[in-house]
Amino acid sequence: MNRSWSRTTLSIAGAVTALAVVTACGGSGDDSDGGGTGTAAKPVTITFWGWAKGTKEVVDAFNASHKNIRVKFEETPSGNAGGYAKISNAIKAGNAPDLVSVEYPQLPEYVSQGGFQDIGKYFTEETRKKFLPQAVEQTTLGGKTWAVPFDAAPQAFFYRKDLFEKYGIAVPKTWDEFKSAAEKVKKADSKARIGTFFPDDPTTFEAMVWQAGAQWFKADGDTWKVNTTDGTTTKVADYWQGLIKGGLVRTDASFSPAWTNSLKTGGTIGYLGASWGGGVLGSTLPEQSGKWAVAPIPTWDGKPASGMLGGTTFAVPKNSEKAAAAVEFATWMTTTEEGIKARISSGTSSAFPAALSLRPAAKKAFDTEFYGGQDIYQVFEDGGSAIAQGWTWGPSMGTTNTTLKDQFGKLAGGGTTVPEAVKAAHDATVAELSKRGLKVEG
Amino acid sequence: MKARTRAAATLLTPFFVLFTVVMLIPIGYAVWLSLFTEQQSGLGFGGSETVFTGLGNYTAALGDRVFRDGFLVLLGYCVVYIPLMVGGALALALLLDSALARAKRFFQLALFLPHAVPGIIAAMIWLYLYTPGLSPVVSAMHSGGIGFDFFSPGGALPSIVNIALWEWLGYNMVIFYAALQAIDRSVLEAATVDGASGGRIAFSIKLPLIRSSVLMVVLFTIIGSLQLFTEPLILNTGSGSAVSSSWTPNMYAYTAAFSRNDFGLAAAASVLLALTAALLSFVVTRLTGRKGAHA
Repeated sequence: MNRSWSRTTLSIAGAVTALAVVTACGGSGDDSDGGGTGTAAKPVTITFWGWAKGTKEVVDAFNASHKNIRVKFEETPSGNAGGYAKISNAIKAGNAPDLVSVEYPQLPEYVSQGGFQDIGKYFTEETRKKFLPQAVEQTTLGGKTWAVPFDAAPQAFFYRKDLFEKYGIAVPKTWDEFKSAAEKVKKADSKARIGTFFPDDPTTFEAMVWQAGAQWFKADGDTWKVNTTDGTTTKVADYWQGLIKGGLVRTDASFSPAWTNSLKTGGTIGYLGASWGGGVLGSTLPEQSGKWAVAPIPTWDGKPASGMLGGTTFAVPKNSEKAAAAVEFATWMTTTEEGIKARISSGTSSAFPAALSLRPAAKKAFDTEFYGGQDIYQVFEDGGSAIAQGWTWGPSMGTTNTTLKDQFGKLAGGGTTVPEAVKAAHDATVAELSKRGLKVEG
Repeated sequence: MKARTRAAATLLTPFFVLFTVVMLIPIGYAVWLSLFTEQQSGLGFGGSETVFTGLGNYTAALGDRVFRDGFLVLLGYCVVYIPLMVGGALALALLLDSALARAKRFFQLALFLPHAVPGIIAAMIWLYLYTPGLSPVVSAMHSGGIGFDFFSPGGALPSIVNIALWEWLGYNMVIFYAALQAIDRSVLEAATVDGASGGRIAFSIKLPLIRSSVLMVVLFTIIGSLQLFTEPLILNTGSGSAVSSSWTPNMYAYTAAFSRNDFGLAAAASVLLALTAALLSFVVTRLTGRKGAHA
């Protein structure tokens, strides 16, 4: 063995460390009877992963009031920022927790990969009836129940009331008005912008498309029909391309240092988000308390319309043997007044429950000081009842959204356009579905 | 003789056990994974079935432009990074080793210090330092009339090279410096007596004598570059910039596995990357070995 050979061996050894990182050993447990829900004498301990604001408070409240189930909460990065990678990895490795947080768009991907278990056994008809039908529609796939919906996440437009007044700009009700308001903001202060097109979070754009009435995915028999070239999608894509090209909106990543900084310095004076964003803004910018307000998301024709942007559900990974206890805890979080109160009184959450009867409790628990006393839950209520029905997320949103995200990253530099990005995502989606052996048209 | 064999076996066992557990088994598992793919039926909500696909994942990875572009990115990175790194570390080490240097220990420590910062933290620090509006560096550059956007498509590569240099320059400098210190002082004295200048000594005496260290650093830097992952990933999530989620082959594997849930494709991409690394290091050692024979 000469020296260069042993060096080569060493180099191979070095290079394949990457493999060791990517691969994870482990088998997966099979479904069991669900493990029961424990007793005070012999409690069941479940592990729960999540990142939504106020989750720790909810878990503490649950543990304080329940003797049969102990919940161990482990905070993860938000889904987009690495939380989903962590869940995928754990499921593959067979050591996922008993309950995870997943947003509506990502749920079908996990279900189609066989990552979660059917929780229909524990999710009773009585529980089902408590939720907004659109939310249940999103968590029922192929006739089975895969997750407990938590919030409804209607879109909303958050804006700096003080600056809009100072610049004499009316709050836009339509997208046309939004564009002219954006121009006025830029004119009033050349460094300020009305909002941000988040290149890293395609679900924001998808919510805009959903709101406008498009339906990217349709299940027809056992064929997926993918349609992203309809007039509605094109209209929305062209509109945002125009705003980006005209320099009327920022293109910072969501919750990035750049975005937060521009909010702090008044460089960004609006935020096109959803109900849950209300609490996030408040905890990100405590010093701007009282200066913000919420308006319904602008629409194309001036009539109320909304898509859903994110929104959390709770699902049980396939390796968990404690599904019964996990679902009981998830049901408590999503359908009881104690659960919602604990979350919202944390002061960091403005979640809009998918369980209709909890909305008054949520509204009551929310401290409106940041919004100068505005009844922001009324805005969410109106948005929630205007969520367009019929939107379905496809089974390969991982591929669709990764492609969109990569393409959107090139927008600022002029490397692509929004319509071109949508086209690329469309092609990648169709290719992925065919690769998996599914029938697809589009 | 028997006792010697037993002693050797005892001493070697821990190594081979660890080597098998953390190296051979994971590699074997990756190769195994890379031969399968998931197939679904109906609308895809009935779970998936694992089917053997032979080299299907390999042809899929090689057929994907994004994966191939990742290698081009690496090529560009190596072309910029390796000369800067090796040249910079050598220059610093020679300066420290020269008779002129003062406060050698201080500079050695100061230059090495960034390496003590974990890569992920370094990348986050630099993310802030690159963000316009937050970074004193960017505002200083702006007031100096330099409007460089670190997150632009053309700025991404230099941004990452800069982070890597910051992290590794001091480390490699220490390796070179240690090699320089090991040079027999009588050789250097003889050169001085013969009237060689400081520069002449550095290039004609010191450099040839530490050639093996230089080769080692070049090799390790190439291997390290192939695995480029942490820094671009942080820039990708933190800036929404031109660094895509599959910018380097390693990131491609990560995204395939954990964003797209395609573990077969991820394993194939990883194996291909490992083969590339093996091939490259083989070529580098061969080439440099032959040169050595003529020198």
